[in-house]
Amino acid sequence: MNRLSRLACRWLLPLGLVGAPAGADETLHYAATTDIGPTSQLVVHGALDLPQMRPLLEDFHHKNPDLEVRYRNLTTLALHERFLVEPDEADVLLSSAMPWQYRLANEGHARSLESPDARRWPAWARWRHELFAFTFEPIVMVVNETVIERFGEVRGHADLLALLERHAAALQGQVVTYDPATSGAGYTYAIEESRLSPRYWDLVAALGKAEADLVDTTGEMLEGLIEGRYQVGYNLLGSYARDRLADQPQLRIVVPEDYALVTQRLALIPRQAPHPAAAERFLDYLIGEPGQAVLARETTLGAIHPALEGPGTATSLRQERGEALRPITLGPGLLATLDDLKREALLTRWQREFSRSEQR
Amino acid sequence: MRRGDSLYRRLLGWLLLPLLVLGSLILIQAWVDAQRTADRAFDRLLEAASLAIAEQVQWQDDRLWLDLPPAALEMLATDAEERVFYSLVDGQGRLITGNANLPGDSRQGLGGEDTLLYRNIDWQDLSLRQGVRRTRFEDWRVREPFEVRVAHSREGRDALAAELWRANLAMILAMAALATVGLLLAIRAALTPLTRLRRAIRARDPRTLAPLALSLPRELAELRDTVNELLARMRRVRANQERFIGDASHQLRTPLAGLSARAELALRQDDPARWKEALVAMQATSARTARLAVQLLSLTRLANPEYRPDLVPLELNTIARQAVRDHWTSCHRQGVDLGVETVEGEVWVRGIDWLIAEAIGNLIDNACRYGGRRVTVQVEDKPPRLAVEDDGPGIPPQRRLLMLRPFHRDREDVKGSGLGLAIVDGIARTHGARLQLSSGHDGRGLTVVLQFPGESP
Repeated sequence: MNRLSRLACRWLLPLGLVGAPAGADETLHYAATTDIGPTSQLVVHGALDLPQMRPLLEDFHHKNPDLEVRYRNLTTLALHERFLVEPDEADVLLSSAMPWQYRLANEGHARSLESPDARRWPAWARWRHELFAFTFEPIVMVVNETVIERFGEVRGHADLLALLERHAAALQGQVVTYDPATSGAGYTYAIEESRLSPRYWDLVAALGKAEADLVDTTGEMLEGLIEGRYQVGYNLLGSYARDRLADQPQLRIVVPEDYALVTQRLALIPRQAPHPAAAERFLDYLIGEPGQAVLARETTLGAIHPALEGPGTATSLRQERGEALRPITLGPGLLATLDDLKREALLTRWQREFSRSEQR
Repeated sequence: MRRGDSLYRRLLGWLLLPLLVLGSLILIQAWVDAQRTADRAFDRLLEAASLAIAEQVQWQDDRLWLDLPPAALEMLATDAEERVFYSLVDGQGRLITGNANLPGDSRQGLGGEDTLLYRNIDWQDLSLRQGVRRTRFEDWRVREPFEVRVAHSREGRDALAAELWRANLAMILAMAALATVGLLLAIRAALTPLTRLRRAIRARDPRTLAPLALSLPRELAELRDTVNELLARMRRVRANQERFIGDASHQLRTPLAGLSARAELALRQDDPARWKEALVAMQATSARTARLAVQLLSLTRLANPEYRPDLVPLELNTIARQAVRDHWTSCHRQGVDLGVETVEGEVWVRGIDWLIAEAIGNLIDNACRYGGRRVTVQVEDKPPRLAVEDDGPGIPPQRRLLMLRPFHRDREDVKGSGLGLAIVDGIARTHGARLQLSSGHDGRGLTVVLQFPGESP
């Protein structure tokens, strides 16, 4: 495990920066409010901001007053490390680091959930009955309206490529995206996009030509865009962008028309969970219709439940974008993402393509 | 008969038992086969995945390099969502990359550059099927051996094996059901002739002894023939009995008719002397008739196969001497020389004294009556034998057996009941003795020998 934890350190540090706040220990606590019957505890560890998590937990606690609920918001790195050190501390793990969550389940660290809701859950959004995707978050571009006014509509990757290639000089230093070398999320998207189309490398080259800024988190990109330092942001986490840009009319969120990656947060119950019954109740709630309805209504995470329609659901997004949505496949392919040599190979290629224009 | 012990059940039991054993063996075989088939099918995935990985292995910066194709891992997971593990190991057994440090396989491959070994392993509480591909990277300058180890959990295999087995199971069960029904019908059909035989026997007139005429399979035909033989024997016995009764009544009627005629004749006379003469004659006749009746009675009793008298130890010499003493006077009167030859010491047999004496008496009587002038009673030891020899005309060998029949007389000119030898035969059988008829010393006369069971010399 020594090697693994070393790997984890190298890996999760960047992955951990996916949207999770840098703040230290953020917790929510709900005491059991019922007088009747014995009370039980529920400990949830998640990489999910408190504003997004609070409505879910409040509703859950309202429906299950006999549970004392503790939620701890951690970075994906801290979450993973903490689990490896103390596998019997948390009842439920929620994380957006899909490869790592998958790896835990693959190695048999997850408990199987056999409930009617779990059986009804769409097969593409779960792995066995151990790993459940419960959010649906497209990766988006954010474009300043002035850019659209000057250079025309940006609807997809092809438009972006054309924009960058034609107006590289105008946009010099005003484009921002993830740095795949330091950001796990950026790397994950890079690897997925490179699998989708070889033209991705042209886009990387175009980004290099425009001397795009490379940052580590969606938060940084959003800050820069709001401050006006950047005109175009590429590959932002849609859920955070929608949350932050609600009052920024000059910034347009573009869900690409040609293809849009969709990332999902994965929930699992550790095999050594101290309160498995409570954990199952919470996970059941999370993938059940009530929990998903709260998710759709009060957060920007995107509900998956097939019975739900309307804004904030995967169903409506699919109706809007149809075939263009490419959820990251929940399968063994994720393990390849974690391969050390694979990472080195991809990053080498990425750097080469990014600096293609300089060599010329 | 114990309830439940029926041929039908016996046959059914002995045929169903092997069928059951056979069926179980087939089921086990089917299970093993299903697993083997599933493993073969799924091992192809291990083969393909390890090949896909091995093909991506490069030599870069003086070390082995792998650009892992995600498809290689994805092909290891089927609909059953198997857990997937892989590792790339160099020639020294060091892990180059991988999501699990999978154990190596100590077996030697079949030789050759590229070998692939499959086996089941238990790894960190998971039951996995592992494929190890041993190959080497070859370049202009570099030759570097390496191993690609891939493994996945067994859910898909187990599901396929179970599915194959279930399909087989349904077929085997259907076959077993068919076989059982067939068996039931076959046994029922095979046992039908037995029922027919039973009905045929039950439907017979109890008085008839006619043979059973019924076409039956070979095994039952033997039974039918045996029954028919028994019936034939019974017919013969009954015929004998009927003749015996006829003969006996005829024998008794003759002297009774004589008595009646003599009495009638005497009643017509008035002379008391004649009456007395008639009475004397009638007394002789009635005495003879009484003796005949006694003989008939003993013959009937001896002929009864149920007659099993208690046998006691007897000394033959004594009995022979006594019998000769009893008959000497009457023989002497007829001018017959009656003698006895005994052996030294005592000859013991088990028997009934009066029956043996009766036998000797009958034999002496016969000898006198059929022209013997010299009759000798002989006793021999080891084995104990009793013989009566005469110098009469004897009996030709081919007619000797006939003499044992009741009322059979060799010659019609001699007065006698024809029961003598039949009675001796009955006595011999009662004693378990053998009766032999042979000619005398010089080919003349007749020797009748009773050989008792006992030690042979």
